[in-house]
Amino acid sequence: MSTSWGSSGPRSVLLAGLGNPDRGDDGFGPAVLARLARLSLPEAERIVCARPLDLLDRWPGRRLAIVVDAAMGEEPGRLRRLEPLCQGLPRPTACSTHGLGLAEAIDLGRSLGLLPARLIVYAAEGLDFSPGAPLSPRVAAAVEEAAARIAAECRG
Amino acid sequence: MAVRKLTLEALARVEGEGSLELSLHEGKVETARLKIFEPPRFFEAFLRGRALSEVPDIVARICGICPVAYQMSAVHALEQGLGIALGGPLRLLRRLLYCGEWIESHVLHIVMLHAPDFLGLPDAIAISRDHRAEVERALTLKRAGNEILRLLGGREIHPINIRVGGFYRLPTPSELSALRDKLEKAGQEAVALLRWVATFPMPDCERDYEFVSLRHPSEYPMNEGRLVSSRGLSCLPEEFDAEFEESHLPHSTALYCRLRRRGSYLAGPLARYNINFDRLSPRVQSLAREAGLGPSCRNPFRSILVRSVEVLFACEEALRLLSLYEPPEAPSVALPAIPGEGHAATEAPRGLLYHRYRFDREGTIEEARIVPPTSQNQASIEEDLRLWAERHLSEPEESLRDRCEQAIRNYDPCISCSTHFLRLQIRRR
Repeated sequence: MSTSWGSSGPRSVLLAGLGNPDRGDDGFGPAVLARLARLSLPEAERIVCARPLDLLDRWPGRRLAIVVDAAMGEEPGRLRRLEPLCQGLPRPTACSTHGLGLAEAIDLGRSLGLLPARLIVYAAEGLDFSPGAPLSPRVAAAVEEAAARIAAECRG
Repeated sequence: MAVRKLTLEALARVEGEGSLELSLHEGKVETARLKIFEPPRFFEAFLRGRALSEVPDIVARICGICPVAYQMSAVHALEQGLGIALGGPLRLLRRLLYCGEWIESHVLHIVMLHAPDFLGLPDAIAISRDHRAEVERALTLKRAGNEILRLLGGREIHPINIRVGGFYRLPTPSELSALRDKLEKAGQEAVALLRWVATFPMPDCERDYEFVSLRHPSEYPMNEGRLVSSRGLSCLPEEFDAEFEESHLPHSTALYCRLRRRGSYLAGPLARYNINFDRLSPRVQSLAREAGLGPSCRNPFRSILVRSVEVLFACEEALRLLSLYEPPEAPSVALPAIPGEGHAATEAPRGLLYHRYRFDREGTIEEARIVPPTSQNQASIEEDLRLWAERHLSEPEESLRDRCEQAIRNYDPCISCSTHFLRLQIRRR
C-alpha cells in the first residue's frame, strides 16, 4: 500500500485504486485515483494499494468503499460496475502468490466482519499488461468516465 | 515406454510461476525437476550504468514480499565497497526494519498460504471460517509488520526511505512510541500463533541437510555475520564465490547454487534456527521447546513452526531495539567518492541473499550480482520432492500432487514471473 507519513484519520468513504502503474493497463486503478485527487471529495479518503488484502485494514466502519481495478476482458476500456456484496465477484485463477486477490479479500472480509457497509468495484477491461507499458489508449480513455462516475457515487 | 502426463493447473499459494516434472520408474522417482523463472538476472544487467544511489530503490522492485531484504543486501554491499560501516542507531533502525519484513512475510505464509495444508482446508478463506480468531491474529501481526515498514520505509511495499549510508528520513519519537504499543500486542499474538501452529499434525520426514545461514557473534542473524554451515563452512560474504558455485541447467531459468565440492544445501528459517538456536533469547528458546522444537530440526514440514518462532523473535527483537534507540545526529552518513567493490549477505525471510557490486569513482555501477534464496534452495527442493513423492507413489495422482505442492510450500518459495501457474508433470514408465 502506498500509504505514507502523515495520513489522516478514517473518513466515511474509501476510494482505493488497485494495480501496478508500471504494468500497462494494470495501472488503471492508480490512474483513476490520480484523477480523483484533483476533485473535491471531502468525505473520501483515497489510497493506491498493491495488495488487496491490505484493504481489510481500511474497510471496517466505512459507509462506502469503491475499489478501482483492471480486469482481464475482451473489450479494452469497457468499464464494469459491480456490487460484489450483492452479486459476488468472479475469482480468477490464482494470479500470484503470496497473492490473495480482491475476491479473496472480500471473502475474508465477509467471514471476519471487516467489510464496509457498501462496496462498489469499478473495473476496466485491459488489453496489455506488459512491464513498463503505458495504459493502452482505450483504457486511458476510460479513466475520465470512471473518475466522474465515482465522484458522483461519493456525492450521491 | 508408457508415459502418463498429468498437468496441475495451479499451484496456489506459491509466488509466481514454476513447473514440476517427476519421472517415475519401477516405484522409484528417477528425477524431480523444478522449473522456475526468475527475474533477478535481468536486474543484474540493467543495474549496470545506474548510480549507486539508485540501487536500493531499483532492487526493492525485485520482490513485493521481501523488498527490504534486497535493499539491505544492496546497501551493505555498496557500503562495504565504499569502506563505511554503519553503527549505532542507523544500524539499529535497519535491523528494526528487517524485523518488520520478517513478521509480515512469515505471517502471510504461515497462516494464509501454508496452514491450509496442515488443516486439510483449501485456502485461507476456509481457515477464516473455522479458525476466525487465528486469522484475525494473523492480520494483527501482519499489520504490526506493515507498520514498521511504513514508518521506516515510507510505505509497505517497495520502501522508498532506504539509502546507501542510512535513511532519508528518521522516525519521530511519537511515531516510535505508537509503534511500541502495537508491537507489544503483536508479541502476545505471536505466542498464541506459535501455540496454535504447534497443534498441527506434522508429517514424519527428516533429511540430513547441510544448513547454511549467517552467524553473528551475538545476534540472531539478519544483516550481518559470517556464512556458516552445519558441516563446517565458515567464510566471509566476500568469499562467496570461493565456496559456492552457480550453474545453469536447461530446464530452469534460475541458476542452481551449490556448495563447491559438496553440493546442495538448505538456506532459510530452518537453517537459521539450526545454526543459531543459541542466539535466541531464553524466553524464545523456552517457547520453542514448549511448541515441540529442540535446538535442532531437520523436518522441512516443521519449517512452519520455525517460522512462527522467528515471528515471535522478531516481535521481541523489535521491542528490544526500540527500547535502545537514541536518535542519531543525521539520518545518513556522507559517502566518499571512490571506486570500489563490495559484497554482502543478509537473511531474507526465505533465506540467504547475497549481493556483490563493483562501481567506479563517480558511483556508477559496473557490475552487479544477486543470488536469491530460492535459487539456492532449488536443488534441495528437488531432493525433498524426490524423497517425498517416492514415499507416496502408491497414492492416487491427485493426492500425490497435493503432497508435492505442500513439500514445495515448505520453502515459501519466491518464483516471480509474469504468469502464475505451477504445472506438475508426472511421467511414469
